[in-house]
Amino acid sequence: MASETDYVTLISNDGFSFLVQRSSARISPVIKRMLDPNGAFMEAKDNTCTLQNINGIVLEKVCEYLYYNEKHKDASDVPDMDFPTELCLELLMASDYLNI
Amino acid sequence: MSSRRNGARNIRGPQSALTDFLAANNISAAQIRTDYDRRRQQTAQDATNAGEGPSNATPEQDDDEALAAAAQAEEDEKKTKKRKRTEEDAIDKIKKAKSSKGGSKAKGKKGKKGDPDDDDDDDADFDGDDLGMYKKSRPAPGQFEHCDICNKRFTVTPYSKEGPDGGLLCTPCGKELKKDLKKEQRATTKAVGTGRKRRKVESEKLDGIAVGGAKSLSQLCIQKVAQHHDDIEELGDLPQSVLERLSEIFSKKRVMKSKTLPLFLRPDLDSVIVHDAAYLEEEDYRQMFAVVPNLRKLVLSNACQLKDGAIDYMLERCHNVRHIQLYAANLINEGMWHRLFREAGARLEVLKLTWLDAAFEDLVVRDLVQYCPNLERLKLKLCRRLGQDAVVTISDLPALKHLSLQISQDVSTETLVNLVQKRGSGLQTLSLEKFLDADDSLLEAIHDNCTQLSKLRLCENDTYTDAGFTSLFTEWNNTPLSFVDFNSTRDVDNNNPTGPEDAIGLASSGFRALMAHSGETLRHLDISSCRHIELPAFMDVFNGAENYPALEYINISFCNRADTSVVAGIFKSCPALKQLVAFGCFDVQDVVVPRNVALIGVPRAQDAIEQFGVGIGVEEAISRMVEMAA
Repeated sequence: MASETDYVTLISNDGFSFLVQRSSARISPVIKRMLDPNGAFMEAKDNTCTLQNINGIVLEKVCEYLYYNEKHKDASDVPDMDFPTELCLELLMASDYLNI
Repeated sequence: MSSRRNGARNIRGPQSALTDFLAANNISAAQIRTDYDRRRQQTAQDATNAGEGPSNATPEQDDDEALAAAAQAEEDEKKTKKRKRTEEDAIDKIKKAKSSKGGSKAKGKKGKKGDPDDDDDDDADFDGDDLGMYKKSRPAPGQFEHCDICNKRFTVTPYSKEGPDGGLLCTPCGKELKKDLKKEQRATTKAVGTGRKRRKVESEKLDGIAVGGAKSLSQLCIQKVAQHHDDIEELGDLPQSVLERLSEIFSKKRVMKSKTLPLFLRPDLDSVIVHDAAYLEEEDYRQMFAVVPNLRKLVLSNACQLKDGAIDYMLERCHNVRHIQLYAANLINEGMWHRLFREAGARLEVLKLTWLDAAFEDLVVRDLVQYCPNLERLKLKLCRRLGQDAVVTISDLPALKHLSLQISQDVSTETLVNLVQKRGSGLQTLSLEKFLDADDSLLEAIHDNCTQLSKLRLCENDTYTDAGFTSLFTEWNNTPLSFVDFNSTRDVDNNNPTGPEDAIGLASSGFRALMAHSGETLRHLDISSCRHIELPAFMDVFNGAENYPALEYINISFCNRADTSVVAGIFKSCPALKQLVAFGCFDVQDVVVPRNVALIGVPRAQDAIEQFGVGIGVEEAISRMVEMAA
């Protein structure tokens, strides 16, 4: 059984893969459950999550958000993260799916 | 030639159009000539003094020359020659002056003025000279000047900016330069909140959007969408919950208009929720019903333009309406209300109406009760014409589970008691606001008849007594409540602020009994303005040993007996606490707020009106407060 690695992989539906820290990825409850070693999901074994409905550009912004969230977890008065307007709606759907 | 000239004065033959025009407008060619001469001589002088002036003379020279030539084709040859000589001298001086100014730039402009090769020689003479008179001095306002950056000609004004090379800039370049400087300044001072932005940050925290840490990605996206609402053409396949949140934000920012409404209407949806329909017009309502025929839930607040025609269309098209919530729909006539209940009443399960005026009277309520047997939720607030009869009629609704009433006319206590007696056993929510004269008999009726209540609100009243509340919560067959609101139940007597001996409203023993009964499941507690609750009662209820696991929101505003130890006890006893509102509690001072808790309303001149958890645990917060008090 694979031990808990520090980094996990998130793969988009067009083949891009992103290596992120496990602690950041777990901010999303969906990903957290997928990677839970006690669960029966295949993702937990190879520490990889394939997200079929999110494309590469959007997933990149999602990863950026995960890090931004973890970095500012205890701070107050946090400046908002910036992202291009064109991505907005797709990013909204992705954030709704991942529950972040 | 001169004779011809003299003769020209007397004999008027055909003249050129130009001369005619000049004569007609009182322009004397001779005067122009003398002016021109004078000016040339003056600029020739200026060229030696300032070295700048003649730049504007040169283009005008061309025009004037044409005029002068036309006016006097036959001139004294001596004069002509002399003039030509002075002209050449002047031109030379101008050239020299120009070359001393900026070299290549001036040369570029002067393509038609003269031989550029001459200037090179002149340049050499003036290089490295320290005479002040060849240094650039700022031209007077009104003079023409070439822009340092873009080389365009412009008029110097007192506000012309100086460019990086020292020369002057034309207005657009000046503005650009100022903008760049300002951007640099802003990049260096990076305060996240200053003035208006800080208020926005704090307002969002009060809304519960961002207590600590970063906002959620959904929130950030929704904000951005609301910001660019003008550019959106379609919202795509967003799920219904996200669509609802988006419509909430649009309503809040007052951009829910005829243009943006179609974004939220999709044939596969079953609800239309618009929290601010103030900008929508009759056509928009029809469109709503046309696009969403399977409508089950309709929520329109501020539905000012909703008229009979739209309701008629809805009755025609949407046969599945179960939930109607209309706030301020005052253009619907009485007849239409009757028709609405008659035709759609059979399926209606939820009806919430507020702010209705002349068209909604007791008779309409009678129709409502008669034709809506399946009505489970009823909310009628701020409907001016409703009175006691309405309450009597409502008592007969068979399936009623959630009732919320606020009626401005007088309603006798017996009527209310009657209502509770008839419907109490089925009620899960009871909210009776501002029934000022309702007394303990109502509390008794609730005690005797209600067993399934989970939300109870009895507020703004000065007749209930503490004894009544105590007996309500003692040995009550009802399951523990989850939402309690007894705000403003107190004695209102300016001569006796502490109230009578037998306390009015929710006071110490009532409060103790309440928490004893419902403490385990209580989620929301509002006892603001129950100022007869004494400090020992607070200390007993929130003493750290008692645990209220579900309590998330507490409002103890204007309970002036509460102090810092009470707040500390609240933090300890309520692990799930998210918001504590304590306006007007002057004994609460120096509070250290633990993580995830928002404390609103504790005053100190220097602090913000709300304080947020600083990332520390409850234990640490309390120990710090104890240290501070010691």
